[in-house]
Amino acid sequence: MSLLSIRNLHASIGDKEILKGVNLEINLGEVHSIMGPNGNGKSTLAGIIAGNTKYTVTEGEVIYKGKNILEMPVDVRACEGIFLGFQYPVEIPGVSITNFMRTAVNEQRKYRGLDPLSGAQFLKLMNEKKAIVEMTTNLANRSVNEGFSGGEKKKNEIFQMAMLDPTLAILDETDSGLDIDALRIVATGVNKLRRPDNATVVITHYQRLLDYIVPDFVHVLYEGRIVKTGPKELALELESRGYEWIKEELEKQA
Amino acid sequence: MEKIVQQFRDLQPTLRKNEVWRHVDFAALLSDELQLPKGERQTAEYHCNIPNLDAVRMVTENGYCYQPTLQTDEGTLLAGFRDYCSQRPDLIRHYFGKCCPKANPYLDINTDHYTDGIFAFIPDNTHQQKPIQLQSVINAGHGLFLQTRNLVVVGRNSHVVILHCDDSYDNAPAFANNVTEIHVMEGAHVEYYKMQNLNNQTGLLNHTYVTMQQGASFRSVALTLNGGHIRNHTEIRMLGEHCEVEAHGLYLNDQEQQVDNYIFVDHAFPNCHSRELFKGILDDSAHGTFNGHVLVEDGAKKTEAYQSNKNILLTDKAHITTKPFLEIYNDDVKCSHGSTVGQLDEQALFYIRSRGISERTAMTMLSYAFCDEVLQQILLEPVRNSLIDLVKKRLHGELTPCSECSLHCSSPCNGPEVNFHIDPTKL
Repeated sequence: MSLLSIRNLHASIGDKEILKGVNLEINLGEVHSIMGPNGNGKSTLAGIIAGNTKYTVTEGEVIYKGKNILEMPVDVRACEGIFLGFQYPVEIPGVSITNFMRTAVNEQRKYRGLDPLSGAQFLKLMNEKKAIVEMTTNLANRSVNEGFSGGEKKKNEIFQMAMLDPTLAILDETDSGLDIDALRIVATGVNKLRRPDNATVVITHYQRLLDYIVPDFVHVLYEGRIVKTGPKELALELESRGYEWIKEELEKQA
Repeated sequence: MEKIVQQFRDLQPTLRKNEVWRHVDFAALLSDELQLPKGERQTAEYHCNIPNLDAVRMVTENGYCYQPTLQTDEGTLLAGFRDYCSQRPDLIRHYFGKCCPKANPYLDINTDHYTDGIFAFIPDNTHQQKPIQLQSVINAGHGLFLQTRNLVVVGRNSHVVILHCDDSYDNAPAFANNVTEIHVMEGAHVEYYKMQNLNNQTGLLNHTYVTMQQGASFRSVALTLNGGHIRNHTEIRMLGEHCEVEAHGLYLNDQEQQVDNYIFVDHAFPNCHSRELFKGILDDSAHGTFNGHVLVEDGAKKTEAYQSNKNILLTDKAHITTKPFLEIYNDDVKCSHGSTVGQLDEQALFYIRSRGISERTAMTMLSYAFCDEVLQQILLEPVRNSLIDLVKKRLHGELTPCSECSLHCSSPCNGPEVNFHIDPTKL
């Protein structure tokens, strides 16, 4: 069954058109990787799926679980199971991670008609999920992302993903700024969360991450459109040959 | 109208030309209904707003203290001010009025006409374990003009935590011109937490005068939750080397409420440090003022003084006048001052909401986060946790003087119900 279906999506920020007709189908159980040079719309696409109102959708539709979600506020999309792992996680001094996650988990449970977790249940869940990203820090007294290293911030994103157990996770350059150990931990975390009843979109620059997270499909987003889709080997080809040959192919077609 | 009320009113036009009093406007609250207290004593037992606080408590009710003198295990003495004046006039005379060398007319009126108050004496070398709570309760059922006078003496190398609360227990108009003097002797450490939760018809001019001797430290956090017009007038003088001052404030006001923090810190000797952080959230047509003045005198070498005021305005009509001000007469100092006025961080809001948290909850979380920096300045954990709870209640719109009232009459007190709601959708 199609989980997410994007058709002819056009979007702009201010006067600048960024997405110029994106088409993408994602099914349950799949991992998709979106690659492409900087400034070609990868983060914009992620932001629009998650519900960032900074972008204006001018044409097209985004159908998730059979519903057009473009009118849905960001928090409702999250409750419907969409998760965005941020490229630049925001520091929020004064809000503890524990309190933040407990509020998020319980608001999502409320949305689904479930009772809130008790303190003990929540702590148990948190300890389980911390293990997935090998998180050893005591989170209780720490503010969200405040004073975190680049690696800690990204681990924290995957930890939040584990806590919220989304149906569709979009990871926006989760590998950027990670050393090799952190990269392994983050990727292992994502793999552990992979199931037949969810799907993941990994946005990345480098093939490196895809050594750990093996995608079913690799897409190239270039100048606001997905211009090429292939199996995981496409990533290797991009790594060795760069993007020039794709540009040339496109020019030939034109 | 009472003569004193008239006198108070008449002062206003002249004083408004003075920078220190420029933004003070009590006129609306100095109504004809205000009467001087005649010893109105209710049968109520006043509970504390703060749960699980194990403190030694002294209460003034409508301007008078009815509690007998008490002494803690450590030797701290707490007494009604009038009562103790007649017992030990020599001791009182030694300290009274000594913290406020610079006269001001509102202070003078208090000095001439105060009714009663609390005297607290912590002897030398005393570590007072339980916090001391001074509670000023207004609950007369009719308009009242109050003037209390408190005197606190903290002896050499002693340590004490004082929680000072101003609470309304009714919805009648009131005005209080209260003075508290605090002597912090050599090497003593004082934590002074001020909590204000008054109704919208009540004005409070809350003077705090502190003098510190060598090596003393003074930490204060003033938390203004509600009140028609509250002026916290604080003057701190460091009269010896190696003094430390941490003076902070948090104000959360809405409707037509006015809040005004004036703080003067005098660095007269070398090697003293002071730090001020005042933060506030103003909603509706609330009006706030921050007027901070740090004076670094000629001889005060190696001074460090930092001053910061940060504000969030939720509406176009909310207003803040902020003036951090340094006056420095020597060049061997480290000083800074600054202020900000803004809204909640859009990026942070998006991040929080992207985890499934509603806009309303996300805004409350961020508002609380804004306040947290000040609340963390409260060192004593039970007090900090209790005040954090009160701030959260306030941000959720759940805090009213009525809800805290010990009478639990379950109906609003006389007069219209007061709505203390910061609407998070506007945050």
